Amino acid sequence: MTSLPLRSSRRAFLAGGVSLLVVGALSPVSAHSYSGQLPWLIDNTEPPVPVKPGGWYFFLPDEVALMSAICDRLIPADDLSPSGTDAGCVVFLDRQLAGPYGRAERLYMKGPFHPGLPTQGYQGPNTPAQRFRKGLAAIGKAVDAKTPGKKFTDWDAKDQDAFLTSLEKGDVKFGNGLDSKTFFAFMLENVMEGFFADPIYGGNKDMAGWKMIGFPGARYDYRAWVPQHNKPFTGAPISIAGSVQWGGKADK
Amino acid sequence: MKRLLSLALAASALVAATPGFAEELANQVMNGRYQAILGDCSGCHTVSGGKYLAGGEALVTPFGKLVPPNITPDKATGIGNWSYQDFRNAMTRGVGHDGKHLYPAMPYPNYSMIPDRDLKDLWTYLKTVTPVDRKVVANQLPFPFNQRVVMRGWNMINFTPKTFKADPDKSPEWNRGAYIVQGPGHCSACHSPKTLLGADKSSGAYTGAELQGWYAPNITGAKRRGIGDWSEDQIVRYLKTGTDGKTTASGPMAEAVTNSTSKMTDADLKSIAVYIKSLPASEPAAPKPLAADDARMTAGAAIYRDNCSACHGAGGEGAKNLFPALKGDAVLMQDSVAVPARAVLFGSKGAQTAAAPTRPGMPALGWRLNDTQVADVLSYVRNSWGNAGAPVAASDVATVRKQGR
Repeated sequence: MTSLPLRSSRRAFLAGGVSLLVVGALSPVSAHSYSGQLPWLIDNTEPPVPVKPGGWYFFLPDEVALMSAICDRLIPADDLSPSGTDAGCVVFLDRQLAGPYGRAERLYMKGPFHPGLPTQGYQGPNTPAQRFRKGLAAIGKAVDAKTPGKKFTDWDAKDQDAFLTSLEKGDVKFGNGLDSKTFFAFMLENVMEGFFADPIYGGNKDMAGWKMIGFPGARYDYRAWVPQHNKPFTGAPISIAGSVQWGGKADK
Repeated sequence: MKRLLSLALAASALVAATPGFAEELANQVMNGRYQAILGDCSGCHTVSGGKYLAGGEALVTPFGKLVPPNITPDKATGIGNWSYQDFRNAMTRGVGHDGKHLYPAMPYPNYSMIPDRDLKDLWTYLKTVTPVDRKVVANQLPFPFNQRVVMRGWNMINFTPKTFKADPDKSPEWNRGAYIVQGPGHCSACHSPKTLLGADKSSGAYTGAELQGWYAPNITGAKRRGIGDWSEDQIVRYLKTGTDGKTTASGPMAEAVTNSTSKMTDADLKSIAVYIKSLPASEPAAPKPLAADDARMTAGAAIYRDNCSACHGAGGEGAKNLFPALKGDAVLMQDSVAVPARAVLFGSKGAQTAAAPTRPGMPALGWRLNDTQVADVLSYVRNSWGNAGAPVAASDVATVRKQGR
């Protein structure tokens, strides 16, 4: 990579300014002014599209198996909640990584790529989809190096936990430009998002994550409950798609 | 308005030699413009957001589709070639230029009450409107209704030109209101039940009617379904601003408020209020409300709490001027659930008026609630807080959804 000049020359700055002015004068005007009434159209809703179940859009079969095993260790099934996989976290990750999130569409992804401060998050050139693809492949390799011919899914829970712990500490060397500690943190964050995001995105099945922590869903008005002290809120959690208390499942 | 002014100026230049004439002409144009407001010409003859009076959205009648024609003074596509006599025949006899019969979607049975003087002024005004070259095929009815001659028979059965007869026992205010409501305001066109032939029924006038997928509610003095509980001031405020503070005009009524009633004088609005409050109350007795433990009510209560209560209030009290109160709301008490079902499925937008320029709006919930859920929440609001109405079936909601907005 050629190093970029840190300071633009005065001449370049002025030339840039002039060209901006010219572009501004020639581009079609995209601003509108409204008067008289609000430009609000009736029934102009663009609701989020619910994730369709079935099939894999991003993960390869081996990755599905590995990711499911990891999710089941990060969020094991217990008396608090179903496992991460049963709650749909792998489906959530699959759909997110296959979509604009996986392609880093909302991020600035051009160089220069310098290692950032810990507070700045990931600064590398890989999209989330590339990070998962490379990270899971590196985990497969590391597992194979430890126990030749065996996969992560062949291990028992104790060994799996020990391996994940070493990932978390950064003790596993990926050797593909990724750092195991950063990757683990990233993967854990995404799995938790799957566990707590609205169910229409594929995870948090039956609002299991919300039931676990007592989150009543995205409601917008609690005024009626404000004066009711020390009484539990009894409404079932609601997701974007609705609530079990609404009934009417039959014709949905 | 600009055109109006320039016409008045041109007229004054032409007739400068005869002082008084220009002023007279300007007065005629201004009065004619007010007649167009009373008659809400633009309500039908202007496409939303389109050129003034250059033809409107198709009216879907039980007989087929009719498109309100271009009534700008364009010679080729409008009424530029009409004479005053043509116009008068159309307005009062239902017979257009070249003897063609009009369909009574054009409320000539009501307009026939307009006195000649006002009609002449209206004609004078219409000639000042900007001519627009826009061809409209008005008659899109299927056979046999597309044969305009059938209207001859219809007129024989349903139509006698009326002149308004003032009732000397009533106040001038009441009489003015009666004239506007029965005549140019053509309130019955939407609010009166229709016969099989599409004429106003002689009985049950103003007790509400289904129209183009909407339902124009009862506007008699009925307490539950009508405006019996409204004060005159409430009615005036509703017609002027689109809300009386508790309920909000929506759909075609919001348009009528925007285009017509909000531009009427306060005196005329008061007259309308006095008159409709005197309309004999007509409504069936309230049914017994659904029990609170009915499955539809419990589901409806949850749906209401999670989707509606933030704006309409946990007790259906609404928020003054902004969100309609559902407790005691007359629109919910009609036989038809078309209006509330549309509001829930597609959202709603209030009237925009000079007095209240920010139109309150309701978001669409049809993407989130299925037909059973919409039916249950409607059953709930119809049977809560003292309201009482027949439960709503999912099939009723399905019909409205299928029709679309």
